[in-house]
Amino acid sequence: MNASVEEIAGKYIATLDGELDTAAASEVEEILKPLYSAPNPDIVIDCSRLQYIASSGLRILLSILKSAKANGGKVVLRNVNEDIKSVFKMTGFVNIFDFE
Amino acid sequence: MPKESLILTNDVRQVSLLGDFVKSTAAKWHLSASLAGQLRLAMEEAVVNVMEYAYPDGVQGTIEIELFKDGQCISVVISDEGTVFDPTHVMSADTTLTAEDRPIGGLGISLIRELVDEMSYERLRNKNILTLKKKL
Repeated sequence: MNASVEEIAGKYIATLDGELDTAAASEVEEILKPLYSAPNPDIVIDCSRLQYIASSGLRILLSILKSAKANGGKVVLRNVNEDIKSVFKMTGFVNIFDFE
Repeated sequence: MPKESLILTNDVRQVSLLGDFVKSTAAKWHLSASLAGQLRLAMEEAVVNVMEYAYPDGVQGTIEIELFKDGQCISVVISDEGTVFDPTHVMSADTTLTAEDRPIGGLGISLIRELVDEMSYERLRNKNILTLKKKL
């Protein structure tokens, strides 16, 4: 599992690549830490290479969304595949995240 | 009946072995990638619960995972010798809440319920035995 964060022209682009299982979650959370404290963050999380996510990964996404909203920002999930989208449906994440 | 099994310890870093186990079994049994992904997720949520809560901190414990296939379904049996815990009695998370009102976490058992067709629990000879069934 690889993760990265870039800041481009005031916008944060995070990329998730691989399988976000519970074993990978704490390292990914550490990499995504800059997203938690940014003021008015405009965040895109690119999921085009994300192949799997467990609830430990969902917890990270929800934490980012909660802190972004609390800091006056927004989070968009980009290119989520159908299998992962079905997990978002089961958990109601489709109703709280924006997708593109 | 075809059967595959795996034994893990209560160390979350071992969860990646579970992923490999499900993938190799799915290849052997010709399961679709989508079905394998759903089984893996349900199994991971159940196994992580055991890893995190069944044994006291600092005490090494084991988790046995068995997969069975018959004509109608895949059965998963997860057993441990930890504290008595019946996940079938845990309430599902409220998935209708807004982001602001949602607690962080608590989705694991809700996901298991969504992903499998049957979930049952028994305590036998000091073991927690959780059985999940997913129709083919």
